[in-house]
Amino acid sequence: MTMSNAPPLRVENLTIAIDGASVVDGVSFSVAAGEVVALVGESGCGKSLTALALLGLLPGAARIVRGRVMLDEVDLASLPEGKMRHLRGREISIIFQEPTASLDPLATVGSQIAEAYALHHRVSRSEARTKAKEMLVAVGIPDAGRRLGQYPFELSGGMCQRIMIAIALICDPRVLVADEPTTALDVTIQAQILDLMKRLVAERGTGIVFITHDMGVVADIADRVAVMYAGRIAEVAPVDHLFARPCHPYTALLLAAVPRLDLKPKQLLATIEGKVPAAGDFNDGCRFADRCPLAGERCRVETPPLVELGRGHRTACWHADRVAALAGSAA
Amino acid sequence: MTGLHQVLDVRDVAVHFTPRGGRIGRPQPTVKAVDGVDLLIGAGETLGLVGESGCGKSTLSNAIVGLVPPTRGSIKIRGQEIAGATRETLHAVRSHVQMIFQDPVLSLNPRATIGAAIAEPLIVRRIATGPALKERVAALLAKVGLRAEHASRYPHQFSGGQRQRIVIARALALEPALVLCDEPVSALDVSVRAQILNLLVDLQRRMGMSYLFVSHDLSVVRHISDQVAVMYLGRIVEQASRDVFFAAPKHPYARALMSAVPEANPVAQRAKRRVILSGELPSPTNVPRGCPFHTRCPIVTEICARERPLLTPRPDGALVACHHA
Repeated sequence: MTMSNAPPLRVENLTIAIDGASVVDGVSFSVAAGEVVALVGESGCGKSLTALALLGLLPGAARIVRGRVMLDEVDLASLPEGKMRHLRGREISIIFQEPTASLDPLATVGSQIAEAYALHHRVSRSEARTKAKEMLVAVGIPDAGRRLGQYPFELSGGMCQRIMIAIALICDPRVLVADEPTTALDVTIQAQILDLMKRLVAERGTGIVFITHDMGVVADIADRVAVMYAGRIAEVAPVDHLFARPCHPYTALLLAAVPRLDLKPKQLLATIEGKVPAAGDFNDGCRFADRCPLAGERCRVETPPLVELGRGHRTACWHADRVAALAGSAA
Repeated sequence: MTGLHQVLDVRDVAVHFTPRGGRIGRPQPTVKAVDGVDLLIGAGETLGLVGESGCGKSTLSNAIVGLVPPTRGSIKIRGQEIAGATRETLHAVRSHVQMIFQDPVLSLNPRATIGAAIAEPLIVRRIATGPALKERVAALLAKVGLRAEHASRYPHQFSGGQRQRIVIARALALEPALVLCDEPVSALDVSVRAQILNLLVDLQRRMGMSYLFVSHDLSVVRHISDQVAVMYLGRIVEQASRDVFFAAPKHPYARALMSAVPEANPVAQRAKRRVILSGELPSPTNVPRGCPFHTRCPIVTEICARERPLLTPRPDGALVACHHA
């Protein structure tokens, strides 16, 4: 595998349309080796569609109409399915929220992990099985030999997610896309899985695109964060910057809506008035304008570009300089 | 509260299930979903009940509204015993206790207008009819931030957050003394969750009802509760006032739970020392002897496998069931 300094995954101006509405609009971000980039946002912001597009797994109605998904030197967005198959699972993998829904209930977990390896390598069954066992150990499953012969229903949700991670990483891909991988798990199990993912990233140098709606999970695992709203990236920043100094009103309000340690009990939380515009109902300007306390004339007619504020912190807001005051009053 | 009844008084309640079926001659193992729980909730108070999947928190709240009969123990709502009560008594008591569940879609009849849904308890209890009923429904809609003209619409015409408001309006129709909220905000987006939490807090201030707030989310519980109780395998392992609990949880399970909740603060999150629990939750058909937590406990000793620790008071008022905490 060639390791250059360029980030292995570069998403450039990705635009996905359903029935002519751009549900993902001009999304750009990159993921370096060993880096965890969180895509965060609420239902319908386009984060999961973005994740699926990276793997060429968009549902029928959705199409990439513009932009590139560069994995090293290959544009995955324009790759025919036959070629995509060679890369999927080997160079780029995905895990989902509900591990039991992703596993075949009629096959042993051992055979499912081995299959993922054998698909991309010319190996004997026993070699693939040995590799599968190593992988089980790597994802922290005790008694790996016995577990190989078990079926998904015999394992808990947390165990099944470890199996999914084992399948996703057995070929040592450059990039792992994780779509809400801990949302269905209890908090103590979530903590185990997050720790496991952090360890694997450090050991293997895999880049992770981590999709979540949970700001706590973002704070725990991400190196950088992209906040999405109505199909666009509102703000990108290193994780510490984003939480300490949000520069988009949506980010600021979202953070203020989370109950925090320093709030008084039963103190009113910040809320965001109105609701996310439906696809096809977007105005010409900033898509957050109708709900934004800072919005003015310009916001409704002119889309704000994602502007660099320094140290990798970028925001798409005409009033970024006034967000600090908003964050202060909301909290 | 002396002289007055607590809104909710639960003593030594157990709910055991013995599954039917199975192979002939082989008794099925009993599921001890709730096994000896005490709880008190005073007027206008919120008790946050925390625990992970399978700890029995939902079974306990079902027992409190009389949806499952307790195997033993006493459940009193405003002094009225509901364990073993007749249908008539249950019917009378239930107007004082209402429920809100996680998924409002499942709680609303898709073919009934929301006006009809909210009016139903008032009709069943013969509280209002005709124009007076219409007025009551409009007032309830207003209380939860919806408009009177919404009454003629159907559940699918609303967003998730609005549907949860509708369910809340229906729960308030009979002006209950106690509302059981079973994960009421877990299915909602962050910004909508904040709106619903604000609404619950505001309604409590105005109407003075008590909440039993069941949740797996400690940050939400910390925000809304006056008292906190932590359940593990059907038992309460720690109970304390909000401030005492969050200042220093004492039971090793409560500590692990707290350390596992990711805080929306990356700097604090990195500094945090996590107690990672080994292993998984044992099955409630096979609760470990002694302390139910001893199979996963980081400070386990020999006595823990032998003797079940009782909830005992600590100097700061917390009740903790642990030999070593």
